[in-house]
Amino acid sequence: MVGTPHSFTRCTIVPPYLLVRLARLTDPRYAGAAEAARQSLLRDLPIRELRVPGQPPSPLAGPPRDAVAARPGRRPGSIDRTLADAGGRELLPGRVVRREGQPPGTDPAVTEAYDGLGSTQLLFWTQFQRDSIDGAGLPLDATVHYGERYDNAFWNGERMVFGDGDGQVFNRFTLSLTVIGHELTHGVVQHTANLDYRGQAGALNESVADVFGSLVEQFAFGQSTAAASWLIGEGLFTDEVEGSALRSLKAPGTAFNDDVLGKDPQPADMAGYVDADDDNGGVHLNSGIPNRAFYLVADALGGNAWEAPGRIWYDALTGGSLRSNADFADFAQATETAAADRYGADSSEKHAVATAWRTVGVNPTSTT
Amino acid sequence: MKVIVSRSGGIAGIRRTWEVLVDDQPDFSDWLALIETLPWGEVPRTAPQPDRFVYRIRCDARTAELAEPDLTGPWRELVERVQQTEPTRSPDESR
Repeated sequence: MVGTPHSFTRCTIVPPYLLVRLARLTDPRYAGAAEAARQSLLRDLPIRELRVPGQPPSPLAGPPRDAVAARPGRRPGSIDRTLADAGGRELLPGRVVRREGQPPGTDPAVTEAYDGLGSTQLLFWTQFQRDSIDGAGLPLDATVHYGERYDNAFWNGERMVFGDGDGQVFNRFTLSLTVIGHELTHGVVQHTANLDYRGQAGALNESVADVFGSLVEQFAFGQSTAAASWLIGEGLFTDEVEGSALRSLKAPGTAFNDDVLGKDPQPADMAGYVDADDDNGGVHLNSGIPNRAFYLVADALGGNAWEAPGRIWYDALTGGSLRSNADFADFAQATETAAADRYGADSSEKHAVATAWRTVGVNPTSTT
Repeated sequence: MKVIVSRSGGIAGIRRTWEVLVDDQPDFSDWLALIETLPWGEVPRTAPQPDRFVYRIRCDARTAELAEPDLTGPWRELVERVQQTEPTRSPDESR
């Protein structure tokens, strides 16, 4: 089962290039050091960048000035988490149990959520120079222990909310870092392309949340494309369920096959596209198609999926070309354009994107 | 008369269905009274929120679809009653 990154020590005198190198270590023997370096970068990067003039541009350079909120005294990229406990009721926000910088307590759900919010901010800030969900340093609020045996986690437009699960099918929803990343990414989508939560646009909204949810975990654990599980919600099912996770980006339709829950119904390409009434038009089903397209891009390019593949998807999401009712073909077009703009029209990145969409049966808008 | 509640969506996207044959219930008249108080024709149409549940409630020819935040009052009472009456997890491979 996948856990969350552990607490870290601050290493404020280590030079940034060394931190970046440490942060990219993938050898499991150095997982602790790598995580500490990433957390240190997340905390101190904005100041460090100012302190080392004349250095070559860092891959972790700060965001454009206009993207940063003018909140007095706040350092861009710094994180401001507040965790609340709903105590089993369905009332938000609940009682505040941990604020930014306070040490962990004894409740694992609080610790998991707190660390998961940090890992998500870390990915978006260091890799895409996005300062929190809104790009302007929005404080990150979350509530745990929502409802009684509540089988869900969601982003309500303002905060993340986690249930404890029923204990029969689902464990607590903070157990999976991909779930935390998934929910926060819904917030990012809301503040960027604002995709409708219905039909193909809704499936894209879901898929983008799965893609970046998976990248949050891969980045936190230093997993390359080849090493990553590409699963969403690993560890959420109890031992009674025959299944490893809620979804698989690598192989949609294979995450579970259980007597009670049935078989993972996600299609892996357009031939299996589902016209559904439920679930806002099958948004959690058809997301399997763009999910697999992203995996195929990552697989073709190799290395770390949060680098070129993640950048292309992020550029497409934030580039301004997507309408809120975008369909798969529109999104395919946006990613191809983003890949060509950043890496070149004849680049391997652009070709990987084009091939991936055709493999899952989606033809970009401009070529249909 | 049957009451069928199906819940789709949620981050898991796994549909669950619960079904109760009202005629077989010892408190049959309570069920009927509750069902008659439901405002079938006035279901709110809230914009869907990511990963919230969507409830579809069917009773004879009547159907209502409610977003999770709108599942309040007698709607919620009915859904909880159906879930408690038929507490077993039901297989659901249909879409």
